[in-house]
Amino acid sequence: MKVLSPYKEATDVILEAGGEPLKLCYQCGLCTGICPWNLVRSFVVRRIMHEAQLGATDFGSEDAWTCVTCRACVQRCPRGVEIIDVMRAIRRAVASLGIGVVPDALRISAKNIAGVGNPLGEAPEKRDDWAKDIKVKTFASGTEILYFPCCIPSYDPDVKTVARSTVTIFNKLGIDYGLIGTEAKCCGESIRKAGYEDTFQSLAQNNINLFTSNGVKTVVVSSPHCYHTFKNEYPELGGKFEVIHITQYLASLIEQGKLKLSKKINKKVIYSDPCYLGRHNDIYDEPREILQSIPGLELIEFPDAREDGLCCGGGGGRIWMDTPKGERFSDIRVEQAVEKGADIIAVACPYCVLNYRDSVLSMGKAETIQVKDISELVAEAI
Amino acid sequence: MSFEPKIVGFLCNWCSYRGADLAGTARMKCAPNVRIIRVMCSGRVEPAFIFQAFQLGADGVLVLGCHPGDCHYAEGNYKTLRRMALLEKMLPQLGIEADRVRLDWVSASEGDRFVSIVDDMTEKVRALGTFTQNSEKEKHG
Amino acid sequence: MEEVKIGVYVCHCGLNIADIVDVEEVSKYATTLPAVVVSRNYKFMCSDPGQNMIKEDIKELGLNRVVVASCSPLMHEPTFRGAIQEAGVNPYLFEMANIREHCSWITEDHKEATEKAKALVSAAIRRVYYHQPLEIKEVPVNPNTLIIGGGIAGIQAALEIADSEHKVYLVERDPSIGGHMIQFDKTFPTLDCSACILTPKMTSVGMHPYIELMTYSEVEEISGFVGSFKARIRKKARYVDEDKCNGCGVCVTKCPWKADSEFDLGLGERKAIYTPFAQAVPNIPVIDTEHCAYFLKGKCRACEKFCELGAIDFEQVDQIVEVEVGNIIVTTGYDSFDPTPITQYGYGKFDNVYTGLEFERICNAVGPTSGKIVLKDGSEPKSVAILHCVGSRDENYHEYCSRVCCMYALKYSHLIKERTDAEVYQMYIDMRCFGKGYEEFYKRLSEEGVNFIRGKAAEVTDRAINEDEEGKLIVCGEDTLLCKTIRVPVDMVILATALEPRSDAAEVAKLLTITQSADGFFLERHPKLDPVATMTEGVFIAGCCQGPKDIPDAVAQASAAATRVLALISKGRVELEAATAVIDEEKCSGCRICNLLCPYSAISFIVDEKVSRINEVLCKGCGTCVAACPSVAITHKQFTTEEITAEIEGVLV
Ligand SMILES: Cc1cc2nc3c(=O)[nH]c(=O)nc-3n(C[C@H](O)[C@H](O)[C@H](O)COP(=O)(O)OP(=O)(O)OC[C@H]3O[C@@H](n4cnc5c(N)ncnc54)[C@H](O)[C@@H]3O)c2cc1C
Ligand code: SF4
Ligand code: SF4
Ligand code: FES
Repeated sequence: MKVLSPYKEATDVILEAGGEPLKLCYQCGLCTGICPWNLVRSFVVRRIMHEAQLGATDFGSEDAWTCVTCRACVQRCPRGVEIIDVMRAIRRAVASLGIGVVPDALRISAKNIAGVGNPLGEAPEKRDDWAKDIKVKTFASGTEILYFPCCIPSYDPDVKTVARSTVTIFNKLGIDYGLIGTEAKCCGESIRKAGYEDTFQSLAQNNINLFTSNGVKTVVVSSPHCYHTFKNEYPELGGKFEVIHITQYLASLIEQGKLKLSKKINKKVIYSDPCYLGRHNDIYDEPREILQSIPGLELIEFPDAREDGLCCGGGGGRIWMDTPKGERFSDIRVEQAVEKGADIIAVACPYCVLNYRDSVLSMGKAETIQVKDISELVAEAI
Repeated sequence: MSFEPKIVGFLCNWCSYRGADLAGTARMKCAPNVRIIRVMCSGRVEPAFIFQAFQLGADGVLVLGCHPGDCHYAEGNYKTLRRMALLEKMLPQLGIEADRVRLDWVSASEGDRFVSIVDDMTEKVRALGTFTQNSEKEKHG
Repeated sequence: MEEVKIGVYVCHCGLNIADIVDVEEVSKYATTLPAVVVSRNYKFMCSDPGQNMIKEDIKELGLNRVVVASCSPLMHEPTFRGAIQEAGVNPYLFEMANIREHCSWITEDHKEATEKAKALVSAAIRRVYYHQPLEIKEVPVNPNTLIIGGGIAGIQAALEIADSEHKVYLVERDPSIGGHMIQFDKTFPTLDCSACILTPKMTSVGMHPYIELMTYSEVEEISGFVGSFKARIRKKARYVDEDKCNGCGVCVTKCPWKADSEFDLGLGERKAIYTPFAQAVPNIPVIDTEHCAYFLKGKCRACEKFCELGAIDFEQVDQIVEVEVGNIIVTTGYDSFDPTPITQYGYGKFDNVYTGLEFERICNAVGPTSGKIVLKDGSEPKSVAILHCVGSRDENYHEYCSRVCCMYALKYSHLIKERTDAEVYQMYIDMRCFGKGYEEFYKRLSEEGVNFIRGKAAEVTDRAINEDEEGKLIVCGEDTLLCKTIRVPVDMVILATALEPRSDAAEVAKLLTITQSADGFFLERHPKLDPVATMTEGVFIAGCCQGPKDIPDAVAQASAAATRVLALISKGRVELEAATAVIDEEKCSGCRICNLLCPYSAISFIVDEKVSRINEVLCKGCGTCVAACPSVAITHKQFTTEEITAEIEGVLV
């Protein structure tokens, strides 16, 4: 018979990699019950905590890479266990010590990020190509706002419109903004969650130096992931800037009467809370305020919205990994939206745009429903 | 060897002294730098004691009482609060940095709070270095 | 002054001190200090041999001051004071250095710990040098007792004290005594009928010649100190004359106006004039002015018309009563946690999700459903889930365990099994059945066929994913023993809600100058050795106001509190604080600054002599006036400026 003996060394590896919170877990199982993975497959979060406590973690298992870091469990855990930190620690152990297997897709993205500063493996010089035919300024000392669009809108042909819409709005309103140029690199939020701490550190240092030497004070971002790391992680590394998510920025312009939305969008719009905007950073109202100020637009809600909102499946580095059909959260979301009779799924995160657009296409729903970033909708309504 | 500051702590008997006891009973670890003097109420702490402590070689003085509203003698700690506000104004004239004197509240059940206040204060005073009086500073040029 | 001879005793406290502090070195160091005649160290100073060592030294070496360096003075100061008193030295010629709690227990650094211990010992030695013998004065204890809160704990304490023929004032906020226990149908683990065991006690309280019961009343102000407190009590207007009413209830029957019953937690109704329940003590109704048509619209007075005794009195006003007592027992109990913020459990959203206390009323024979366990639509549930730890053991709400929920969940399982054919599912994290007869009760319920699922429920939803779930409430979570997520479709969900501190606990604490622990319940003097006293002499706590507990524990604690009060009454006198403040009238300039500062109004101005004087009986020795006197005319005995200066000097060696 196979028996288990506690293997303290393995626990120590996880603890050293930042898994300290695992000690607090009292095995109630609430996290498993809450984790969205269990809508589509089994993912026993609690057991991962206990295995880590006893050093029984299977570093070779795909479980190490499953968590989408949506924070649904952490938000409710009765012991306040930062479960995502534990998941990240297990990944760090695998990625840095080589004691398990890193999924291929992730390994490639990680290599790209480390090599050329973006997960798509595109040339750094092309970072601002999305704006080629639009009049944009380069950030210079004294410019009020740095606009940082995230790698996906910068390179992905299907998501470019997010960045293009944003600068279109800025230009119309005559906002004093600029782009930082092609030396910028990926913010590093997701690759950090995927366990690549060294890569993150060097990305962060690069960006912090770049911002600081250019005299950046305020950054407006399109991605909640950039928002999260700039706001909550960069300061510890010496990068202290005012960080504003585009939805916060637009909502405040509307409130001050500087942004007037006059064109009608006569559509039923359902808003999906991005995990890194909502649960991670408590921003729930601004996106809704913007949508509600678009004339003609009818805002509807998912059955599980706000704190309970379902993840698109793209956090924690999952955006680069393959999720088999039938296990994609974004498919569930699209189905729910169609059921609710929505014409448009509105989001405020490039990962969500990517995942939902994928789902809509693969489900053959392109005729019924569209996916739009809030900045795209605002650009249309202005 | 690193500099170990000497901090005199005046703790009221009813809340803070018990909070400090609790930190010990629960074996919480904290900086050993605060030497505690028990008074019945923080209201007993005269500004003169604080100056005396500095004269006698203290690097910092910590005064702890019950939370406002919780004083065992109803309102002794409000008196302390007012007195310390006045005292704070005098400190710069005497060449005592603000971080060397601290008034705070710790209840009998707040062992952890006691520890964090003590650790925090010890670090701040350590950063300031040893206290030398104005007169001496002048002497040493 | 006679020559000062100090003896110093350093305690090892087993290894508690000696492991970290070099006790040998500390004790050697003490001999180098002025006036120290002898310095020893010993394994356990508090033991008999330890104390005898001091006593012998006093006799043989003529010591007249003693310093013990050991644990906190809050532990053993009385012990050592007693010892030196026995050896003929005034107990106040003593000082303790706390080298355990403040030293050996907070650091692992031997060198720092030993240095600190030396400093603390040197401070104690320098200070004790200046100590003067103090005279112990005593005052009589008023034999009356005030008890605040008439739940089971208050009732028990009141009866025990009153049975020994000492007067008790029992103040209850609600119209009747009984507290939570009278809302229950059965009590675990014996399944006694709650009313059957409680109402006889309630009646005794109502009729007891030594109990003055004040219901519908609240204490507004407390002054004084152990032995002689004064309390101001507001008796709210009932609009019914207590002396005339005989409790016939005709007014209630005739009243045409209804409101939600607080006693039934809104699940049932009561009239605008009402007694909360049939066996109420006192059996005298009150008029709820927020629902009475006469108070609202100026018309009706139906009750008045039908009351043959003319007991209805619409002109009644609140009454203020002042009582004098020697001791106070606080038994204000707990509030039941409101689970609305835990949105995922659907309380308030779904009809058939109940709190623990609501389910008690549903089970109760005289409750809103006459004891029938039914759904909102009146039908019998086919399955019920009970979710444990709702608001307890959860950092987002209360970190502590509420101690009774596992057991009342089992009680409900039994009642459901007994009265319906429903399947029962309990979702628990740990079964905590620690009391006498509790594990046996758990076993009995297993035999009755209750389903136990180990895992904290994640969600209660009405979104069905298959036919079996249609129209049901589905409880989702992980069965942690199977490592599988499960969905249990049920008709009714009972949330085993936490016990939490009363919402007004902070105000009550302030009223009594007692404190709350981090969880919000009242803080006992010592968590193990003195769970009924508080930091304020003469104020005791019992029942759930001190922390969640079951009825047996609440009763035991109430009896203990009563015993403590009776002990003080039987002794008849209390020692006054000896370390008071005195004014040197030669130095007093008559500025009167101190008069207003004293929280006890112990200082008065003697107009003829143009000086202030302190009443030693009233002074509690806080020292606030001492610190404020501009003429340095006030001395705080045991805490003189000389003594504190010496101590400062000592800790800074
Ligand atoms: C759902 C549920 C089921 C339970 N079942 C059982 C069981 O089966 N067996 C068991 O052993 N235990 C059970 N318990 C525990 C039990 O309720 C308590 O142990 C017991 O009620 C504690 O009594 P108490 O007198 O301390 O408090 P309470 O019953 O809360 O009584 C306090 C009283 O003080 C009054 N009061 C409060 N504040 C003031 C104030 N400021 N001035 C004047 N009066 C005031 C209140 O009106 C109340 O009458 C259960 C608890 C719950 C929540
Ligand atoms: S919810 Fe928290 S305590 Fe419960 S099993 Fe998960 S990590 Fe552990
Ligand atoms: S963060 Fe989200 S995906 Fe990860 S374990 Fe928690 S609930 Fe599951
Ligand atoms: S008794 Fe603690 S501050 Fe007054």
